Amino acid sequence: MQYELKTQVIEPQRQTFTHIAKRYGDKPASRYIEGSIDVQPKEHFQYRPTWDPTREIYDDSYSVFRLTDAYSYLDPRQYYYAPYVTARSGHHEAFATSLEYIEARGLLERLPDGWRSVLAELVLPLRHLESAGQLILCGMARFGWGATVTQSAAYSAFDRVGNAQVLSRVGIALGGGTTDLLAEAKEHWLHDAPLQGLRRMAEETIVETDWGLALLRLDAVDRLVYDLLYQHLDDEAVVSGAPAYSLVAQHMASWFADNRRWIDALYTAWREDPELGATNAALLAEHGAAAVDTALEVVTPFAARIDELLGGSSAVDRITTTAAEVRAAHTGAAA
Amino acid sequence: MTLAPENKTKKAKKLSMKARYEALTRGLDWEPSYVEKDEMFPHLDYEGIKIHDWAAWEDPFRLTIDAYCKYQAEKDKRLYAVLDGFAQGQGHLGLTDASYLNAMKIFIQGVTPLEYGAHRHFAYLARHFAGPGPRFAALCQSIDEIRHMQTEIHTLSNYNKYYSGFHNWPEEYDRVWYLSVPKSFFEDALSCGPFEFLIAVGFSFEYLLTNLLFVPFMSGSSFNGDLPTMTFGFSAQSDESRHMTLGLEAIKFLLEQDEANVPIVQGWIDKWFWRSYRVTALVAQMLDYMLPRKVMSWKESFELYFEEQMLGGLFEDLAFYGITPPRHVEDAIKEKEILSHQVYWTLYQFSFAAAFTTSAPSDEHMDWLSQAYPDTFDTHYRPLWEKEKKNIEAGGRHFAPGLPQLCQVCQVPMLFTEPGDATTFAQRESEFEGEIYHTCSNGCQWIFEREPEKYRQAWLPVHQIYQGNCGGPTVPEVLEWYGLQDGDAGEYIGSRDHRNWQAWQGEAAADTATPDETKAGA
Ligand SMILES: [Fe+2]
Ligand SMILES: [Fe+2]
Ligand SMILES: [Zn+2]
Repeated sequence: MQYELKTQVIEPQRQTFTHIAKRYGDKPASRYIEGSIDVQPKEHFQYRPTWDPTREIYDDSYSVFRLTDAYSYLDPRQYYYAPYVTARSGHHEAFATSLEYIEARGLLERLPDGWRSVLAELVLPLRHLESAGQLILCGMARFGWGATVTQSAAYSAFDRVGNAQVLSRVGIALGGGTTDLLAEAKEHWLHDAPLQGLRRMAEETIVETDWGLALLRLDAVDRLVYDLLYQHLDDEAVVSGAPAYSLVAQHMASWFADNRRWIDALYTAWREDPELGATNAALLAEHGAAAVDTALEVVTPFAARIDELLGGSSAVDRITTTAAEVRAAHTGAAA
Repeated sequence: MTLAPENKTKKAKKLSMKARYEALTRGLDWEPSYVEKDEMFPHLDYEGIKIHDWAAWEDPFRLTIDAYCKYQAEKDKRLYAVLDGFAQGQGHLGLTDASYLNAMKIFIQGVTPLEYGAHRHFAYLARHFAGPGPRFAALCQSIDEIRHMQTEIHTLSNYNKYYSGFHNWPEEYDRVWYLSVPKSFFEDALSCGPFEFLIAVGFSFEYLLTNLLFVPFMSGSSFNGDLPTMTFGFSAQSDESRHMTLGLEAIKFLLEQDEANVPIVQGWIDKWFWRSYRVTALVAQMLDYMLPRKVMSWKESFELYFEEQMLGGLFEDLAFYGITPPRHVEDAIKEKEILSHQVYWTLYQFSFAAAFTTSAPSDEHMDWLSQAYPDTFDTHYRPLWEKEKKNIEAGGRHFAPGLPQLCQVCQVPMLFTEPGDATTFAQRESEFEGEIYHTCSNGCQWIFEREPEKYRQAWLPVHQIYQGNCGGPTVPEVLEWYGLQDGDAGEYIGSRDHRNWQAWQGEAAADTATPDETKAGA
């Protein structure tokens, strides 16, 4: 005997959780919102940390940048775990396809000498800079205040490991399937003059305990370095017969564009805070400008070496222009 | 400046998988020279642990980022497809009974926040360990734990739309009395140094007691028609096996690095065994009293997942390093016959102030308990419930008049009895700087006296209520401060969930004509 299954209509008692409904009204909420908003405990912490008894387990005083409501910051990409790993899975697959193509066509072997040196001497050592980014962002994931911020930081920290692996795979391919170039890149990172400013900045930023200031500094360097290497030099590579470089650069550039979205949204939230906005804007102007000035100082010898190797690529001009733009964005002045 | 590398266009030796993995993950560290290494990793000395060679940390997984993302994305795709299908098909109507969801209410209120805490503090390890191997393992776990928190929320979100008790879990975790049991447990770990945290959560929680904590919830869900939770559980399993391996790797690493680490680690095992074990009190009562369709008793579960697998297996291996089974483990073994009954009896009486409901066990349920606990149920606990049955028939379901006194360490109400004597209540007292502190057991007293300056800080919910810090002096004021709504608390029979359930089942029966076959099977 057969029965018809009718679809039963049952009225929900509520559309979402109470803490979500208090903010946005009782209507269905996205998975990003339900999985992120208000999930960090915020009161009645039981014990003081043994590693810092002056603070609470979670404490908004780990940075000078504070928000009246931590959840006024939302990730514009709406990354909760599932879309995050899905996006990155696609990203790494696309890179692997490019690398296969590069290897199949022997494009690395055919790189002009200057480009090969740029990769081996200056780009590969930046896997260590990625590793510094990983540490800095892990600190932010622990000491930030509010789950939307710590979540973005944790994903970004994970991204830095991925970036280091992308660079390492390029290094292995460029080294003919060996790790020789990675070992040499570490020596460059430790000893070459054009990289020492970057390494100093990396080490000093790792020990910065204010996660907001550390993020500003990392971001300032990223904005000069990523723009230079993966935008500016990408264009140069296209016109000077270095397609392998360009094929790699596109993936780093697309990651960078994606990563900057959450950081810009955080700066905006700081600046637009109804109570702390003016304080935050002043802090951004002061520390943002200082971070850019330091970044320009440490990236200049790096860019000068690129100009040297490529016989004039306007690398120094490019970072100088970018630095002025970033500085102006922080201080609110015209560039 | 070093010389530019010579061209190596010849296909040289191919890298082995292991060498390739190491090249991608290991060589990234360098000795800092612009800052001191101690300044970079400032928390590694104060616990007394000595590490001579961070590179000795073995990474058993060899997961690269691309492989991790691909694998996890595929798992999530399958999991969310199940959640969507269940929601669209009103799958909740196929549960064994709405009362089953009390187990899941405790889960979202008391376990999901721990996943978030784990995310945060594995990020701390990922920042503060001086070796790239354990740092990367910790970072993976940090984002895995975001996954667990979110997949749990998303799994239970659909039930929240139709049932009480789920809707205000983050605030409840920060405020409600019984949730300070898991909260104080995890915050104890968060306030530790990096190595103690690793033993507390990575080893004791994720390895020693993980099966005891999670398997009952997951098997409970599969026995009671909760397909989403079951799928979530399976989906989290491969993450958990990585976490368990990390925990085991961690303890071996610490023990092998220096002999002086052994007594420190032993002290942490002793402490964290008891601390984690006390949290399982909530699981014990869930397993024996809250599941409409029973899986196994707490006693069986304890014997299998703890006595057999851990005492029998793990600690025999650890003996090689000079590690002995945890202190007070004998007390826990003696408690297996009585734990769930004492805890549920307490929750039953105080559920007027909880975000779940309770109900007296039926005759059939009591017969199952008699069978599962032949030595204790009929002697000590059946008489309580038989008396309560009479109260209920007379219209006087019992609720406790006041609020329970809590243990200063585990924060469970002081309901436990002396080891081996189910009739004498255990109460321990310790004095610290002129104040008396009460603990529930030998284990909790020992933990208190080891670090009194820590446990004196405890935010004990009942003390706080008496001090007027919880919305006001009366019960309704406190419940409002807890954010409880009508239907969240109290007796299950006649509750909002119960009434809705009966109405919906009636409609479902009329609609499908074969309700029983759509119900949960084995
Ligand atoms: Fe977890
Ligand atoms: Fe875990
Ligand atoms: Zn206790």
